[in-house]
Amino acid sequence: MLRYILSQKSSQKKLYAIVAIVIILVAAVGGYYYYQLSQGPKAKSIAVYSYVSDFPDLDPSSAFEDEQVILANTYEDLVYFDPSNTQPLQPWLATSWENSVDGLTWTFHLRTGVSFHDGAPFNAEAVKFSLERTMSLGLGGAYIWDPVKAVNVVDDNTVQILLKYPAPVPQMTSSQYAAWMISPRIPANATDWFNEGHDAGTGPYMMKSYQKGFQVTLEKYPGYWKGWSGPHFDNVVFRVDRDPSVRLQAVQSGDADMTLDIPVDLLSNIQGNANVVVIDSKAYRNLVGMINTVKAPTDNVLVRQAISYAFPYKDVIDSVWKGHARQSTGPVPTGMLGHFDDLSQYNLDVVKAQSLLTQAGYPNGGFTITLTYTSGDQVEKSVAELYKAQLAKLNINLDIQEMTTRAKYTLARGDPKQAQNIILFYWWPTYITAYDFLFNLFHSEKKHIFNFSYYNNSQYDNLIDQASQLEGTNPTQAMQMYKQAQSMVIQDAASLFIFDQDTTIVYNAKIHNLSDNPAYTETIFFYNVWEESSG
Amino acid sequence: MPTGLARYIARRLALALIVLLAVVTFTFIVARVVPSDPAELYVGPKATAAQRERARIELGLDKPLYVQYASYLLGLVSGNWGISLRAHTSVLGDILTYLPATLEIIILANIIAVMVGIPLGVYSAVRKGSLLDQASRLTAIAGVSIPSFWFALLLQLLFFGQLHVLPLEGRLSVDVSLYYPVKTITGFYVLDSLLTLNIVAFVDTLRHLLLPAIALAAYPIGLITRMTRSMMIEVLRETYIRFARANGIVERLIIFKHALKNAITPTLTVLGLSFAYSITGAVLIEIVFGWPGLGTYTLNAIIEADYPAILGVTIFGTMFYIVINLFLDILQSYLDPRVRFT
Repeated sequence: MLRYILSQKSSQKKLYAIVAIVIILVAAVGGYYYYQLSQGPKAKSIAVYSYVSDFPDLDPSSAFEDEQVILANTYEDLVYFDPSNTQPLQPWLATSWENSVDGLTWTFHLRTGVSFHDGAPFNAEAVKFSLERTMSLGLGGAYIWDPVKAVNVVDDNTVQILLKYPAPVPQMTSSQYAAWMISPRIPANATDWFNEGHDAGTGPYMMKSYQKGFQVTLEKYPGYWKGWSGPHFDNVVFRVDRDPSVRLQAVQSGDADMTLDIPVDLLSNIQGNANVVVIDSKAYRNLVGMINTVKAPTDNVLVRQAISYAFPYKDVIDSVWKGHARQSTGPVPTGMLGHFDDLSQYNLDVVKAQSLLTQAGYPNGGFTITLTYTSGDQVEKSVAELYKAQLAKLNINLDIQEMTTRAKYTLARGDPKQAQNIILFYWWPTYITAYDFLFNLFHSEKKHIFNFSYYNNSQYDNLIDQASQLEGTNPTQAMQMYKQAQSMVIQDAASLFIFDQDTTIVYNAKIHNLSDNPAYTETIFFYNVWEESSG
Repeated sequence: MPTGLARYIARRLALALIVLLAVVTFTFIVARVVPSDPAELYVGPKATAAQRERARIELGLDKPLYVQYASYLLGLVSGNWGISLRAHTSVLGDILTYLPATLEIIILANIIAVMVGIPLGVYSAVRKGSLLDQASRLTAIAGVSIPSFWFALLLQLLFFGQLHVLPLEGRLSVDVSLYYPVKTITGFYVLDSLLTLNIVAFVDTLRHLLLPAIALAAYPIGLITRMTRSMMIEVLRETYIRFARANGIVERLIIFKHALKNAITPTLTVLGLSFAYSITGAVLIEIVFGWPGLGTYTLNAIIEADYPAILGVTIFGTMFYIVINLFLDILQSYLDPRVRFT
């Protein structure tokens, strides 16, 4: 045929012949493609989770962003935190634990018959290895191990954690960061190795392939200690889709099975689609507006209380969240140990606000305060604008400044007298303890990290520090002390306590047993999830 | 080698190196001047003071600025472009991982732009004032004016949402990535799937490349059409064209062989610049299509103030730009000897 083409004198005929060949080729190849896909092995079941961000660091020791979404399926902790249980600390890789009388030694009894994906046995040596590696890397969530003095192997199935000072060790070992059990057979300097797409866990799934910034594929680990009887997914795929409308389209069309972080206004598009379900589950995440206690005029507690009474809490929940959130009661979010519904709460009360302003010496308002929020965050922006409108009624000018996260924090970490009056940001815990909120947000700091109210109250500091040390051995008393501490910051109006957020999951109606455990942020434990087969 | 070409290339290379050094220095200074705490990003926000201090030393932040600058330059040359503060992995490694994905779309986009834009521009010029000419001028203006991300979303809504003929996003379908996975050889899925005779993945890759490439092609199509058209109009007016016609040379030969060859060089330059720009300029398209490319990597680096990554991308982008420019200049000087002596 080639000779035929080349022999043609007319270049026009040559062109037509080439075009004809190209068309035939495309049709053949395309046909082959569609045929193969329709014949393809359909026996395996796949779950596709369309996720909002990528996974910068897959090293289980140093991961500190959203990687737990994946790691919680390939790795396991010693303890599982289940807030829906009256005894939230549940056995996972450890079957039981006890502490010494002075609270400085914790002994964990380990599950037998568990092995890592690479074949190494799970035992006390592995626990020691994992904790020591994480502590020596000193990145991400490793700070939670600060109270630890040493980790000792007692025998193959018993390990001891010795502390410098008392701390709630079982909670720490249930953390979604820095507590994963890692096989001792990993190469030295394994961070690059992990980020090429390898895993070294004991979990039900293993890393199958990794396209950085785009997709993670997991396949089931046949030797998983819980076994595989019953319906389970064979493969789990995490797709990175930054655009919320793309994520939503993916679930609606069946391209993906579940997704999160869909803005509330987009949710109304799903109304009436019987294939898609929307559920709200609790998240231990809240939005605070920390108020500068050092810079005028917010250095005056009366002014802080006044602006707390001038915040449009209900408006924010209704218009911004359309009900998918609730007003905070203090700094510890709803559902968490240490949250108390009966703590006092500020509500929009213009009369009270006015009277407090008058007492403070500003009967007609007449001052300007600055508020910073994260650029790109629509929720924070709406919150800021609603607040501005409300404050304007009291003749207070709220100067709203939009900044990148880094810039926002850099300003707040500088000289408090030059910083913002109010800063909006979200908080959520590393492991489940009220101390995470109370310490990071309000404990006095020599160098400013997150206490952006610059609150400096030694009575408060001592109260929460002591409570934290009691938490492991006497949780009831610890909670009472946390409650007292929260009363203090609420009374001092060191922050606006705005809302406790829900996690809204949008998923394919055929999926069952999907529930979000707020202790493991946005994490779906795929081992528990199954899909109805059609027909 | 033709006269003067070697000296021309040497001169351009020397200039290129100076530009690169200036860019590196400037970016380095800016990254240090902008307030941020690299140690904090590296260890994480809740680290203890001791951990942060350790990180500061590990990252070399305790050394004086000129020492940091010198060791950075040395590192650049030896292939150590630093560690990403956010991912704790090699910046150069990450850039090279994300690069092929972006190159695939911009190469395809520019091929489409050339295949559409040049003929459109030529026929527009030849049939000046006709309906075809009006239509192509409108297309050209639309191409350079419409926002790329809006056009991308529109394409998605139409071809995926309504017609269901093309995929929503990503480089490969989930099914294909599971059952016909692409073995990574070059990182270019089109090449790798062909090399491993993975026809299913090859077709799937092309299907996924289409929409982002079309979205990205809009701007260069507009650019090329307009430039080709105006250059052709000018060239067709020249005396030597009339002379060729007078000599009885076939019209098609006149247009494509004689006129276009002279009209093409400014168009090539403009095309080259738009190609070089889109290495990070494709970020909006990458976001809409969930494309794991250099644009996305750059965006994350900037938002997180991950300065080693920002520096790495800036240097890479500059090098890319310089190389493309250099190539274009050399090509031009080869085609048009007058350029070598300016």
